Amino acid sequence: MAEIYFTKDHEWIKVEDNIGVVGITAYASEQLGDIVFVELPEEGITAEIGKDIAVVESVKAASEVYSPVSGTIIKSNEDLNSTPEIVNEDPVGKGWFYEIEISNNDELSGLMSEEEYQKHIGD
Amino acid sequence: MTEEGSWKQLFCHGDYMSEAYWGLEQNLKTTPLYKIHNENSAKLVNFAGYYLPIQYENGIIAEHNHTRNSVSIFDVSHMGQIKISGPMVYDAMEKILPISFSKIAPGQIKYTQFLNNEGKIIDDLMIYRSFEEDHVWLVVNADCTSKDLDHLYSNLNKAYKIELIEDRALIALQGPNSSNILKTFFQEIDDMPFMTADWFNYDNEKFFVSRCGYTGEDGFEISIKDRYAEKFINELLQCEGVRLAGLGARNSLRMEAGLCLYGNDISSSISPIEAGLIWSIPKERIENGGFIGHEHIKKDLENGVERKLVGIKPLGKLPAREGTQIFDKNEKTIGEITSGGYSPSLQTPIAMGYINSDILKSECEVLLNVRGNLIPAEITSLPFVEHKYFRGNK
Repeated sequence: MAEIYFTKDHEWIKVEDNIGVVGITAYASEQLGDIVFVELPEEGITAEIGKDIAVVESVKAASEVYSPVSGTIIKSNEDLNSTPEIVNEDPVGKGWFYEIEISNNDELSGLMSEEEYQKHIGD
Repeated sequence: MTEEGSWKQLFCHGDYMSEAYWGLEQNLKTTPLYKIHNENSAKLVNFAGYYLPIQYENGIIAEHNHTRNSVSIFDVSHMGQIKISGPMVYDAMEKILPISFSKIAPGQIKYTQFLNNEGKIIDDLMIYRSFEEDHVWLVVNADCTSKDLDHLYSNLNKAYKIELIEDRALIALQGPNSSNILKTFFQEIDDMPFMTADWFNYDNEKFFVSRCGYTGEDGFEISIKDRYAEKFINELLQCEGVRLAGLGARNSLRMEAGLCLYGNDISSSISPIEAGLIWSIPKERIENGGFIGHEHIKKDLENGVERKLVGIKPLGKLPAREGTQIFDKNEKTIGEITSGGYSPSLQTPIAMGYINSDILKSECEVLLNVRGNLIPAEITSLPFVEHKYFRGNK
């Protein structure tokens, strides 16, 4: 059963064993508005916790996405190249950004639960 | 995730989710349409010290496309409206502005710029010649209003009355259906050509209606008393097809139309020649002078300028924003993007920026340095999307 965690910077990560799927939250995608381009990490590169790993371009601005955990990128969501708008339509589902092999599962303890995140964005 | 920076006035580096980031914790002014913005789920931001909508619930792309296909209302009440009256007001204004009233009929509007002594742009503006022949009416950029007033006070003597109009909202109605909508209120506007204006009465209120805008579409700017603005906008919103659009769509529309944004594409370090605005200065003014900054304008025209504003089309899908360096094929810097983003009409990225003039003679393919990625781009002419102004029933 996959578990979902959140960062204060509005990324989510769904974790099963040591594999995580990362994206941005519904709140973030709504704040950004119409997304027109996502610059995804290349497969095989190393991600560091809290360091920028992707860029989301909406009509109004470019925003950096920070990796919620350290690890190796296994796969990027190539559907975003042709249809970046799926990040707006289904941010926590089809609009995922990349899959990562987590190098240190202890890092997950520093992330927020869904409930904590909802509190963070002031719902 | 954090914002990387886009429009200078609106976005800066920081946590874009915080109220401080949007400047919303400051004491911001509201326009007479503030209630309407909230009723229509506007995302409000700090723009030039006002709460203004960057978008409503449909989003920037939908609002943009609706303006190109139908008609939208924009709240531009933050812009400065200035009335100047006094004896021989035209002669006095010709000493300040590079325009020629002999070429402006009563009821006409001209686009022009306040220039400093170096011939650089203090602000760009619209000026209206009144039918009464006793005043001019200016519309200036919100952020520049106070320096424009200083400039006017230092260059006009006390015989002239300079009034900042603070009790009138300004609404832009833009799009191919705008005249069909507005003529249900003011029948006469149907025949008004682009760049003319007049006063109309409706419901015992006086409306100052100009056929102009900042989208490249046919459209109007309507100046109305604050107290009446909400009622009028609600009436407009009752008309079929009329929707609200925010500053985000206003920016993408003006970029497609190749229109300069003060603070981005033009500023007090850029001349009208560099910005490609020489069309707005009549020939006899260039020859005869007599306005602030003339010597430099003339010199720039004789000697040429080192950089010029051009259209830039990044190849591929990655938008290149303002501040992006432009390289030649040897990766030498040859210019910089001043406005850039996504074009909803063309569904590609577009940009405007300055390029060294000598490069423009030969090369049309350049590279854009977007976060270290070198993106090939084409230099093009402006606008990206053809203007559709109403030039009259001829």
